[in-house]
Amino acid sequence: MAVPVTVAEPAARVRAVSPRHFVRLKLRVMGNNFRGQGWRVALFVVGILVGLWFAAGGFLMFAAPGFADEPRYAVMAAAFGGGVLVLGWLLLPLVFFGVDETLDPARFALLPLSRRTLVTGLFAAALVSVPVFAVLVAVTGLVVSAALLGGAVAGVVAALGVVAGVLLCVAASRAVTSAFATMLRSRRVRDLAAVLLAVVAALLGPLQLVVLAAVRTADWDRLVGVARIVGWTPFGAPWTIGLDVAEGRAWAVPVKLLITAVTIGALLLWWSRSLESAMVGAASAAPAKARQAPTGGAVAQLFPRAVGWARRDRFGALVARECRYWWRDARRRANLITIAVVGIFVPVMVNLGGAGFAVGEEGFEATGDPSPVLLSISMLFVGVLASVTLANQFGFDGSAYAANVVAGVPGRLELRARMTAFSVYVVPMLGVVSLIISGVLGRPEWFGVAAGALLASYGVGLAINGFISVLGAYSLPETSNPFAMNTGSGIAKSMLTLLSMVGSAAAAVPMVVAAGLLGDVWLWLALPVGAAYGVGAALLGAYLAGDVLDRRMPELLSTVTPRR
Amino acid sequence: MTGEHPALALRGLAKQFDGKVAVAGVDLAVPAGSFYGLLGPNGAGKTTTLSMAVGLLRPDHGNAWVLGHDVWGDPVEAKRLLGVMPDGVRLFDRLSGAELLAYHGLLRGMDPAVVDQRAAELLDVLALTDAGRTLVVDYSAGMKKKIGLACALLHGPRLLVLDEPFEAVDPVSAALIRDILHRYVVGGGTVVFSSHVMEVVERLCSHVAILAEGTIKRVGTLAEVRGDRSLEDVFVEVVGGRTATGEELAWLSR
Repeated sequence: MAVPVTVAEPAARVRAVSPRHFVRLKLRVMGNNFRGQGWRVALFVVGILVGLWFAAGGFLMFAAPGFADEPRYAVMAAAFGGGVLVLGWLLLPLVFFGVDETLDPARFALLPLSRRTLVTGLFAAALVSVPVFAVLVAVTGLVVSAALLGGAVAGVVAALGVVAGVLLCVAASRAVTSAFATMLRSRRVRDLAAVLLAVVAALLGPLQLVVLAAVRTADWDRLVGVARIVGWTPFGAPWTIGLDVAEGRAWAVPVKLLITAVTIGALLLWWSRSLESAMVGAASAAPAKARQAPTGGAVAQLFPRAVGWARRDRFGALVARECRYWWRDARRRANLITIAVVGIFVPVMVNLGGAGFAVGEEGFEATGDPSPVLLSISMLFVGVLASVTLANQFGFDGSAYAANVVAGVPGRLELRARMTAFSVYVVPMLGVVSLIISGVLGRPEWFGVAAGALLASYGVGLAINGFISVLGAYSLPETSNPFAMNTGSGIAKSMLTLLSMVGSAAAAVPMVVAAGLLGDVWLWLALPVGAAYGVGAALLGAYLAGDVLDRRMPELLSTVTPRR
Repeated sequence: MTGEHPALALRGLAKQFDGKVAVAGVDLAVPAGSFYGLLGPNGAGKTTTLSMAVGLLRPDHGNAWVLGHDVWGDPVEAKRLLGVMPDGVRLFDRLSGAELLAYHGLLRGMDPAVVDQRAAELLDVLALTDAGRTLVVDYSAGMKKKIGLACALLHGPRLLVLDEPFEAVDPVSAALIRDILHRYVVGGGTVVFSSHVMEVVERLCSHVAILAEGTIKRVGTLAEVRGDRSLEDVFVEVVGGRTATGEELAWLSR
């Protein structure tokens, strides 16, 4: 113990941490995720292929003006296409895909890393991903375009701009999601935000149709002017510099690059700010409001007013709990809102003639030719869409489903109760959709046709999704970040959804055929027949799938339990 | 009625996950009326064993009986006699405490009036009445354990299986939980719980089993297993592993 304590390690011996370490760490984590999980590798490969598909499409779009020798379109493609890219990177992670949380900043909280090291490192790691690669491939089209229009120099400048643009995209997505994730630490705010985003997401589809209609009738010269203005904003600046060279405005290049660089710097600064609070993880849970004291006994509290009719037994308890969950669980509530928004917009679009839907001087005009058949088809879509929400109904529960397993709830009872609880919300919603549609079309006598088709397809969908939810369940992540998603589950989810939607639609086709063949009689028959068909199908589905569930309860529990 | 059968009997329970053996053949007989502690280090297979014992996880081999009822062959009767508090499992936490209890009670087929009365009593005793309409998701860790215990107790099971009931619980709540469990056993119930906290086990249990690497290493009454040493010494000896440092780590002292 005679060692003098003053001999400290010289500070220089601490080796610097470079972004390279973060990139290697990310690759290692990704690699370990694949280990022994064949299906994950398969999903990853599918992801790459999908990415390449979109990349190729984007490349063609960006390169086409160059091949066609159309500088005007090239400017528009670069400014608008690039702008949409940036906007997409900004918003899509919030709404649909979630952020890649392979490297969670919170895990670095205890390491002695400066903020600068951490941000550059995480930024570098974020660049290593399939979407970034796909975007890079797509925007290479701009380089080709610029080179064809303005020669080699323009091409080189465009390449520089494109790289800067991709950096901008990634920085934007990271900064925004990180800022949101911090803001949304409190559960209440998070639930609210998830719902708001769901509304935005649900509105994207209809909005797109309107924009397309607007583009068709718009004035091209004015659009080029707008594109040039966009080219001077951070959204368009990096993408348009190649074309500036081609058009002989070389002086614009350094200015636009400066705009881009400043934006990236600002975004990274913002990110590093929010990163710090994300790492500290000071859960600023909203102070519990002084809620009103509960009234009545425990049982009375469990049952919401909407299911006051239910008997106070096992079935009633299941229905009541599910009803509470459809409202209190933000993920579920977001689904309900999507159904409501899409359920009204899609039929209106289809029946008012999507093709003839145009924005002209006289405002919206409806052309096209609505008919009971067309109406039934669009209703089919809505009914199927509503029921597909249940495709992973056990995944919503996660490991909490263990309570039902321990209590030994019979499968048929379980499925019937879940269908009933969901219908408490959806059936009134479907009724409103039918009313609105028949009202908008000015054909109130078609209400029965609409409601019948809706109920039939919804019921059939419930039956099929009963099976899917038992056999194809998957776990949803339990994380503080509402936008995080398990890698690959997005693809698995869409596959299942597609499968169940095709099946349900096929099973509900008789309603469309009847609408076509039976003529006016169907106006009266549609509602009772459709309701009977739907209820019968749902009950049969619960009966058959319940049997499967009885045999698979523990297996189902382990598939919906998040790993870790 | 509980005379001839052990409260919980496990025979040859085994489970593999992706080729890795988690539990390699566990035999156990828990006498009715005993307070049984299942000890083991982290990763010994305690949770896996208990999950298979109560019907939450299908075993690769072996079987489990609750008071003579086959858990996997006659689940309805076995589960009726069983109260479970799983560890690391979420409750239906978007319900308030009272709502959660009502749900569990009705799910067990109980009379609503009885559910109301027992729920009010349990919430009162466990000092959860003040939480009012707060959702369970916003409860503290100790409150979550307490409401989980209340859910397991509500239907008056004959056998209570608890996975890590004292994990992350403050001393006051722990004392409360201990007292409730003690009364339950005195009243003729049987408790099986897992833990790696020696003091709790030594204080509460009449019987102990030490599980390590997926097999039972020691089993018997507390006195039999402990002998004249402390339970901790026995545990460390059975489980193996290093408990003291040698020449390394010299740089820790300066």
